[in-house]
Amino acid sequence: MGMITDGLPGFLEPLPGGSAVLTKVDQLVNWSRSNSLWPLTFGTSCCAIEMMMASGAARHDISRFGAEVVRASPRQADLIIIAGTIVKRMAPRLRTLYEQMAEPRYVIATGSCTIAGGPFIYHSYTTIRGADEIIPVDVYVPGCPPRPEALFYGLLTLQKMIREGESLRHPGERRRPVLSALPEGMTIEDIQAEMRDLLVADANVKMSEELAEGAHWAQELKDF
Amino acid sequence: MQDSPPPGEDQAGEVGFAQALLAAAQAIEPATVLRDKSDRITLQVPAAAIAKICQWLRDDPALRFDLLYDHTAIDWPAENRFELVYLLAAVLDPQPRTRDLQVMVTTSVPRDNPVIDTVCGIWPIAEWQEREVYDMFGILYTNHPDLRRLFLEDDWEGFPLRKDYEDDFMLERPT
Repeated sequence: MGMITDGLPGFLEPLPGGSAVLTKVDQLVNWSRSNSLWPLTFGTSCCAIEMMMASGAARHDISRFGAEVVRASPRQADLIIIAGTIVKRMAPRLRTLYEQMAEPRYVIATGSCTIAGGPFIYHSYTTIRGADEIIPVDVYVPGCPPRPEALFYGLLTLQKMIREGESLRHPGERRRPVLSALPEGMTIEDIQAEMRDLLVADANVKMSEELAEGAHWAQELKDF
Repeated sequence: MQDSPPPGEDQAGEVGFAQALLAAAQAIEPATVLRDKSDRITLQVPAAAIAKICQWLRDDPALRFDLLYDHTAIDWPAENRFELVYLLAAVLDPQPRTRDLQVMVTTSVPRDNPVIDTVCGIWPIAEWQEREVYDMFGILYTNHPDLRRLFLEDDWEGFPLRKDYEDDFMLERPT
Protein backbone atom coordinates (compact mmCIF):
# COMPACT_ATOMS: atom_id res chain seq x y z
CA MET A 1 0.00 0.00 0.00
CA GLY A 2 2.77 2.35 0.84
CA MET A 3 4.39 1.77 -2.56
CA ILE A 4 1.12 2.52 -4.33
CA THR A 5 0.23 5.60 -2.37
CA ASP A 6 3.74 7.06 -2.52
CA GLY A 7 4.83 6.15 -6.03
CA LEU A 8 1.62 6.05 -8.04
CA PRO A 9 0.83 9.78 -8.37
CA GLY A 10 4.26 10.62 -9.74
CA PHE A 11 4.10 7.70 -12.17
CA LEU A 12 0.51 8.17 -13.38
CA GLU A 13 0.17 11.95 -13.56
CA PRO A 14 2.37 12.53 -16.69
CA LEU A 15 0.66 9.74 -18.68
CA PRO A 16 -2.23 10.62 -21.00
CA GLY A 17 -5.45 10.09 -19.06
CA GLY A 18 -3.42 9.38 -15.95
CA SER A 19 -5.18 12.07 -14.00
CA ALA A 20 -8.58 10.45 -14.46
CA VAL A 21 -7.19 7.06 -13.44
CA LEU A 22 -5.64 8.61 -10.38
CA THR A 23 -8.99 10.09 -9.39
CA LYS A 24 -10.52 6.63 -9.60
CA VAL A 25 -7.69 5.18 -7.53
CA ASP A 26 -8.31 7.97 -5.02
CA GLN A 27 -11.93 6.95 -4.76
CA LEU A 28 -11.00 3.30 -4.24
CA VAL A 29 -8.38 4.08 -1.61
CA ASN A 30 -10.63 6.52 0.23
CA TRP A 31 -13.52 4.07 0.16
CA SER A 32 -11.40 1.31 1.67
CA ARG A 33 -9.87 3.62 4.26
CA SER A 34 -13.19 5.06 5.36
CA ASN A 35 -14.71 1.62 5.81
CA SER A 36 -11.85 0.11 7.76
CA LEU A 37 -11.13 2.59 10.51
CA TRP A 38 -9.46 0.82 13.39
CA PRO A 39 -9.90 2.76 16.61
CA LEU A 40 -7.42 2.75 19.45
CA THR A 41 -8.48 1.60 22.89
CA PHE A 42 -8.13 4.97 24.54
CA GLY A 43 -10.46 6.42 27.13
CA THR A 44 -9.70 8.73 29.99
CA SER A 45 -13.02 9.36 31.70
CA CYS A 46 -16.80 9.19 31.42
CA CYS A 47 -16.97 9.62 27.63
CA ALA A 48 -15.10 6.32 27.45
CA ILE A 49 -18.13 4.58 28.97
CA GLU A 50 -20.27 5.79 26.08
CA MET A 51 -17.53 4.76 23.66
CA MET A 52 -17.58 1.29 25.21
CA MET A 53 -21.36 1.27 24.81
CA ALA A 54 -20.83 2.08 21.15
CA SER A 55 -18.04 -0.38 20.45
CA GLY A 56 -18.59 -3.27 22.81
CA ALA A 57 -22.19 -3.42 23.97
CA ALA A 58 -25.19 -5.13 22.45
CA ARG A 59 -27.54 -2.44 21.21
CA HIS A 60 -25.15 -0.10 19.46
CA ASP A 61 -22.84 -1.90 17.09
CA ILE A 62 -19.93 0.10 15.74
CA SER A 63 -18.95 -2.78 13.45
CA ARG A 64 -21.77 -1.72 11.12
CA PHE A 65 -19.46 1.14 10.17
CA GLY A 66 -16.38 -1.02 9.75
CA ALA A 67 -14.80 0.35 12.89
CA GLU A 68 -15.19 -2.49 15.35
CA VAL A 69 -11.60 -3.69 15.36
CA VAL A 70 -10.56 -1.79 18.48
CA ARG A 71 -6.83 -2.22 18.79
CA ALA A 72 -4.83 -2.16 21.97
CA SER A 73 -1.69 -0.95 20.21
CA PRO A 74 -1.44 2.44 18.49
CA ARG A 75 0.72 0.89 15.77
CA GLN A 76 -2.26 -1.14 14.58
CA ALA A 77 -4.79 1.70 14.80
CA ASP A 78 -5.53 4.61 12.53
CA LEU A 79 -8.35 6.31 14.44
CA ILE A 80 -8.13 7.70 17.94
CA ILE A 81 -11.40 8.55 19.67
CA ILE A 82 -10.37 10.93 22.44
CA ALA A 83 -12.95 10.01 25.04
CA GLY A 84 -12.54 12.03 28.20
CA THR A 85 -10.74 14.82 29.95
CA ILE A 86 -7.10 15.29 29.00
CA VAL A 87 -4.95 16.49 31.88
CA LYS A 88 -1.39 17.80 31.91
CA ARG A 89 0.11 14.44 32.85
CA MET A 90 -1.83 12.71 30.05
CA ALA A 91 -1.00 15.21 27.31
CA PRO A 92 2.51 13.92 26.46
CA ARG A 93 1.21 10.33 26.43
CA LEU A 94 -1.62 11.32 24.08
CA ARG A 95 0.88 13.00 21.78
CA THR A 96 3.09 9.88 21.84
CA LEU A 97 0.15 7.60 21.07
CA TYR A 98 -0.89 9.83 18.18
CA GLU A 99 2.59 9.84 16.71
CA GLN A 100 2.85 6.06 17.02
CA MET A 101 -0.35 5.50 15.05
CA ALA A 102 -0.20 4.36 11.44
CA GLU A 103 -0.61 6.94 8.65
CA PRO A 104 -3.13 8.13 7.58
CA ARG A 105 -4.49 8.73 11.06
CA TYR A 106 -7.71 10.36 12.13
CA VAL A 107 -8.90 11.93 15.36
CA ILE A 108 -12.42 12.18 16.75
CA ALA A 109 -12.77 14.31 19.88
CA THR A 110 -15.88 13.40 21.87
CA GLY A 111 -17.38 15.42 24.68
CA SER A 112 -17.07 18.89 26.10
CA CYS A 113 -13.76 18.26 27.86
CA THR A 114 -11.87 17.30 24.72
CA ILE A 115 -13.42 20.15 22.75
CA ALA A 116 -12.79 23.02 25.16
CA GLY A 117 -12.09 21.76 28.67
CA GLY A 118 -15.77 21.42 29.52
CA PRO A 119 -16.73 22.12 33.12
CA PHE A 120 -13.05 22.30 34.07
CA ILE A 121 -12.20 25.26 31.84
CA TYR A 122 -11.93 27.72 34.73
CA HIS A 123 -9.94 27.39 37.95
CA SER A 124 -8.40 24.09 36.95
CA TYR A 125 -4.74 23.51 37.62
CA THR A 126 -4.47 20.55 35.30
CA THR A 127 -7.17 20.19 32.62
CA ILE A 128 -6.06 20.83 29.04
CA ARG A 129 -8.59 23.19 27.45
CA GLY A 130 -9.26 21.22 24.30
CA ALA A 131 -7.45 18.16 22.96
CA ASP A 132 -6.61 20.14 19.80
CA GLU A 133 -3.94 21.88 21.83
CA ILE A 134 -2.13 18.53 21.80
CA ILE A 135 -3.02 16.82 18.51
CA PRO A 136 -4.96 17.90 15.39
CA VAL A 137 -8.62 16.90 15.53
CA ASP A 138 -10.74 15.98 12.50
CA VAL A 139 -14.23 15.67 13.93
CA TYR A 140 -15.63 17.17 17.12
CA VAL A 141 -18.59 15.34 18.67
CA PRO A 142 -20.28 17.55 21.27
CA GLY A 143 -22.09 16.14 24.29
CA CYS A 144 -21.40 15.55 27.95
CA PRO A 145 -20.93 12.71 27.27
CA PRO A 146 -22.29 12.19 23.72
CA ARG A 147 -24.64 9.26 23.27
CA PRO A 148 -23.46 6.40 21.05
CA GLU A 149 -25.75 7.73 18.32
CA ALA A 150 -23.85 11.00 18.36
CA LEU A 151 -20.55 9.13 18.21
CA PHE A 152 -21.83 7.17 15.21
CA TYR A 153 -22.90 10.40 13.57
CA GLY A 154 -19.40 11.73 14.11
CA LEU A 155 -17.97 8.53 12.64
CA LEU A 156 -20.19 8.90 9.56
CA THR A 157 -19.01 12.49 9.25
CA LEU A 158 -15.40 11.35 9.38
CA GLN A 159 -16.10 8.71 6.74
CA LYS A 160 -17.62 11.37 4.49
CA MET A 161 -14.58 13.58 5.06
CA ILE A 162 -12.23 10.77 4.12
CA ARG A 163 -14.19 9.90 0.98
CA GLU A 164 -14.46 13.45 -0.28
CA GLY A 165 -11.45 15.15 1.14
CA GLU A 166 -8.37 13.12 0.41
CA SER A 167 -6.20 12.54 -2.59
CA LEU A 168 -3.02 10.59 -3.19
CA ARG A 169 -1.67 13.71 -4.90
CA HIS A 170 -1.52 15.48 -1.56
CA PRO A 171 -0.88 12.85 1.09
CA GLY A 172 -1.62 13.99 4.60
CA GLU A 173 -3.69 16.94 3.47
CA ARG A 174 -7.21 16.92 4.77
CA ARG A 175 -10.23 19.13 5.11
CA ARG A 176 -10.70 21.51 7.98
CA PRO A 177 -12.05 19.96 11.18
CA VAL A 178 -15.82 19.91 11.53
CA LEU A 179 -18.21 20.01 14.44
CA SER A 180 -20.49 17.02 14.07
CA ALA A 181 -23.44 17.85 16.27
CA LEU A 182 -26.27 15.37 16.13
CA PRO A 183 -29.27 17.33 14.77
CA GLU A 184 -32.22 17.82 17.08
CA GLY A 185 -34.60 14.89 17.06
CA MET A 186 -32.27 12.52 15.22
CA THR A 187 -32.48 8.94 16.45
CA ILE A 188 -30.56 5.72 15.98
CA GLU A 189 -33.10 4.70 13.34
CA ASP A 190 -32.28 7.78 11.26
CA ILE A 191 -28.60 6.98 11.48
CA GLN A 192 -29.27 3.40 10.47
CA ALA A 193 -31.22 4.72 7.49
CA GLU A 194 -28.35 6.97 6.52
CA MET A 195 -25.93 4.11 6.85
CA ARG A 196 -28.22 1.96 4.71
CA ASP A 197 -28.25 4.66 2.02
CA LEU A 198 -24.46 4.77 2.15
CA LEU A 199 -24.28 1.01 1.76
CA VAL A 200 -26.68 1.06 -1.17
CA ALA A 201 -24.75 3.93 -2.74
CA ASP A 202 -21.52 1.97 -2.50
CA ALA A 203 -20.51 0.37 -5.77
CA ASN A 204 -20.42 -3.20 -4.56
CA VAL A 205 -24.07 -3.22 -3.56
CA LYS A 206 -25.23 -1.49 -6.72
CA MET A 207 -23.49 -4.00 -8.97
CA SER A 208 -24.81 -6.91 -6.99
CA GLU A 209 -28.30 -5.49 -7.29
CA GLU A 210 -28.19 -5.80 -11.06
CA LEU A 211 -26.73 -9.29 -10.91
CA ALA A 212 -28.94 -10.57 -8.15
CA GLU A 213 -32.17 -8.88 -9.15
CA GLY A 214 -34.87 -10.67 -7.27
CA ALA A 215 -32.45 -12.41 -4.96
CA HIS A 216 -33.91 -12.60 -1.45
CA TRP A 217 -31.01 -10.89 0.30
CA ALA A 218 -31.07 -7.89 -2.04
CA GLN A 219 -34.73 -7.35 -1.22
CA GLU A 220 -34.03 -7.80 2.49
CA LEU A 221 -31.33 -5.18 2.35
CA LYS A 222 -33.79 -2.74 0.79
CA ASP A 223 -36.43 -3.50 3.42
CA PHE A 224 -33.95 -3.37 6.30
CA MET B 1 -18.57 -1.04 74.65
CA GLN B 2 -19.71 -4.40 75.95
CA ASP B 3 -23.10 -3.05 77.02
CA SER B 4 -23.86 -1.06 73.89
CA PRO B 5 -26.83 -2.23 71.86
CA PRO B 6 -26.00 -3.68 68.45
CA PRO B 7 -26.62 -1.32 65.56
CA GLY B 8 -29.92 -2.24 64.06
CA GLU B 9 -31.64 -1.37 60.83
CA ASP B 10 -33.93 1.04 62.67
CA GLN B 11 -32.94 4.61 63.45
CA ALA B 12 -33.24 4.10 67.21
CA GLY B 13 -30.64 1.32 67.21
CA GLU B 14 -28.16 3.48 65.36
CA VAL B 15 -28.69 6.43 67.66
CA GLY B 16 -28.13 4.18 70.67
CA PHE B 17 -24.97 2.83 69.10
CA ALA B 18 -23.74 6.36 68.39
CA GLN B 19 -24.28 7.41 72.02
CA ALA B 20 -22.45 4.34 73.31
CA LEU B 21 -19.63 4.98 70.85
CA LEU B 22 -19.38 8.58 72.02
CA ALA B 23 -19.25 7.55 75.68
CA ALA B 24 -16.48 5.06 74.98
CA ALA B 25 -14.56 7.60 72.91
CA GLN B 26 -14.86 10.21 75.65
CA ALA B 27 -13.30 7.74 78.06
CA ILE B 28 -10.21 7.85 75.84
CA GLU B 29 -10.34 11.50 74.80
CA PRO B 30 -12.71 13.72 76.81
CA ALA B 31 -12.93 16.45 74.14
CA THR B 32 -14.62 14.13 71.64
CA VAL B 33 -18.04 15.26 70.40
CA LEU B 34 -20.67 13.75 68.14
CA ARG B 35 -21.51 15.88 65.14
CA ASP B 36 -25.20 16.67 64.67
CA LYS B 37 -25.50 17.36 60.97
CA SER B 38 -24.06 14.28 59.35
CA ASP B 39 -25.30 11.43 57.20
CA ARG B 40 -23.42 8.90 59.31
CA ILE B 41 -22.01 8.60 62.81
CA THR B 42 -19.30 11.23 63.06
CA LEU B 43 -16.81 11.67 65.87
CA GLN B 44 -15.01 14.99 66.12
CA VAL B 45 -11.74 14.62 67.96
CA PRO B 46 -8.81 16.96 68.72
CA ALA B 47 -5.89 16.59 66.33
CA ALA B 48 -3.55 15.41 69.06
CA ALA B 49 -5.76 12.40 69.85
CA ILE B 50 -6.26 11.09 66.30
CA ALA B 51 -3.81 8.19 66.55
CA LYS B 52 -5.17 7.09 69.94
CA ILE B 53 -8.80 7.19 68.76
CA CYS B 54 -8.03 5.38 65.51
CA GLN B 55 -6.07 2.66 67.33
CA TRP B 56 -9.03 2.13 69.63
CA LEU B 57 -11.56 2.02 66.77
CA ARG B 58 -9.54 -0.68 65.03
CA ASP B 59 -8.60 -2.76 68.08
CA ASP B 60 -11.72 -2.71 70.24
CA PRO B 61 -13.21 -6.22 69.92
CA ALA B 62 -16.72 -4.78 69.70
CA LEU B 63 -15.88 -2.41 66.84
CA ARG B 64 -13.05 -3.72 64.65
CA PHE B 65 -13.06 -0.96 62.05
CA ASP B 66 -10.40 -2.65 59.97
CA LEU B 67 -10.79 -0.64 56.77
CA LEU B 68 -9.89 3.00 56.26
CA TYR B 69 -11.69 3.33 52.96
CA ASP B 70 -11.12 7.01 52.46
CA HIS B 71 -9.07 9.79 53.90
CA THR B 72 -9.30 13.31 52.62
CA ALA B 73 -9.20 16.94 53.68
CA ILE B 74 -11.41 20.00 53.36
CA ASP B 75 -10.06 23.52 53.22
CA TRP B 76 -11.92 26.11 55.32
CA PRO B 77 -10.01 29.35 54.72
CA ALA B 78 -12.50 31.51 56.62
CA GLU B 79 -12.02 29.43 59.76
CA ASN B 80 -8.27 29.07 59.10
CA ARG B 81 -8.29 25.30 59.33
CA PHE B 82 -8.08 22.09 57.37
CA GLU B 83 -10.65 19.50 58.27
CA LEU B 84 -9.29 15.96 57.97
CA VAL B 85 -11.78 13.19 57.33
CA TYR B 86 -11.27 9.48 58.04
CA LEU B 87 -13.98 7.13 56.78
CA LEU B 88 -14.02 3.74 58.46
CA ALA B 89 -15.79 0.46 57.84
CA ALA B 90 -15.70 -3.02 59.35
CA VAL B 91 -15.45 -5.68 56.69
CA LEU B 92 -13.39 -8.58 58.01
CA ASP B 93 -15.12 -9.25 61.33
CA PRO B 94 -17.50 -12.22 61.03
CA GLN B 95 -19.65 -10.76 63.79
CA PRO B 96 -22.28 -8.54 62.14
CA ARG B 97 -22.06 -6.12 65.05
CA THR B 98 -20.63 -3.20 63.14
CA ARG B 99 -21.28 -4.58 59.69
CA ASP B 100 -22.94 -2.15 57.23
CA LEU B 101 -22.00 0.68 59.52
CA GLN B 102 -19.74 3.50 58.50
CA VAL B 103 -18.11 5.77 60.99
CA MET B 104 -16.49 9.07 60.16
CA VAL B 105 -13.75 10.56 62.29
CA THR B 106 -12.90 14.20 61.70
CA THR B 107 -10.32 16.50 63.13
CA SER B 108 -8.98 19.95 62.35
CA VAL B 109 -5.49 21.31 61.96
CA PRO B 110 -4.56 25.00 61.59
CA ARG B 111 -3.92 26.21 58.04
CA ASP B 112 -0.61 27.84 58.87
CA ASN B 113 0.78 24.75 60.62
CA PRO B 114 -0.94 21.65 59.19
CA VAL B 115 0.86 18.92 61.10
CA ILE B 116 -0.75 15.72 62.37
CA ASP B 117 0.25 12.21 63.37
CA THR B 118 0.14 9.55 60.69
CA VAL B 119 -2.25 6.61 61.02
CA CYS B 120 -0.39 4.36 58.58
CA GLY B 121 0.81 2.23 61.48
CA ILE B 122 -2.86 1.38 62.11
CA TRP B 123 -4.09 0.99 58.51
CA PRO B 124 -1.21 0.49 56.02
CA ILE B 125 -3.37 1.86 53.19
CA ALA B 126 -3.20 5.24 54.89
CA GLU B 127 0.35 5.57 53.61
CA TRP B 128 -0.99 6.16 50.09
CA GLN B 129 -4.02 8.17 51.15
CA GLU B 130 -1.90 10.49 53.27
CA ARG B 131 0.49 10.94 50.38
CA GLU B 132 -2.42 12.05 48.23
CA VAL B 133 -3.67 14.49 50.87
CA TYR B 134 -0.14 15.83 51.24
CA ASP B 135 0.03 16.19 47.47
CA MET B 136 -3.19 18.16 47.19
CA PHE B 137 -3.43 20.03 50.51
CA GLY B 138 0.07 20.03 51.94
CA ILE B 139 -0.85 18.35 55.22
CA LEU B 140 2.35 17.17 56.94
CA TYR B 141 2.12 13.76 58.59
CA THR B 142 4.65 13.11 61.30
CA ASN B 143 6.29 9.65 61.28
CA HIS B 144 5.07 8.97 57.74
CA PRO B 145 7.70 6.67 56.15
CA ASP B 146 7.59 8.15 52.64
CA LEU B 147 5.88 11.52 52.39
CA ARG B 148 6.36 12.37 48.70
CA ARG B 149 4.01 13.69 46.05
CA LEU B 150 1.77 10.99 44.58
CA PHE B 151 0.00 12.40 41.49
CA LEU B 152 1.71 15.66 40.65
CA GLU B 153 5.25 16.13 39.41
CA ASP B 154 7.94 16.15 42.07
CA ASP B 155 8.87 19.75 41.31
CA TRP B 156 5.29 21.05 41.50
CA GLU B 157 4.99 24.21 43.57
CA GLY B 158 2.04 24.68 45.89
CA PHE B 159 -0.91 22.47 46.75
CA PRO B 160 -3.66 22.77 44.13
CA LEU B 161 -6.73 21.85 46.15
CA ARG B 162 -6.15 24.67 48.63
CA LYS B 163 -8.71 27.38 48.00
CA ASP B 164 -6.07 30.09 47.62
CA TYR B 165 -3.97 28.14 45.11
CA GLU B 166 -3.09 29.99 41.91
CA ASP B 167 -0.73 29.36 39.03
CA ASP B 168 -0.06 30.62 35.51
CA PHE B 169 -1.98 27.81 33.83
CA MET B 170 -5.28 28.55 35.55
CA LEU B 171 -7.96 30.53 33.78
CA GLU B 172 -10.13 32.99 35.66
CA ARG B 173 -13.81 33.14 34.79
CA PRO B 174 -14.42 36.39 32.89
CA THR B 175 -16.82 38.65 34.70
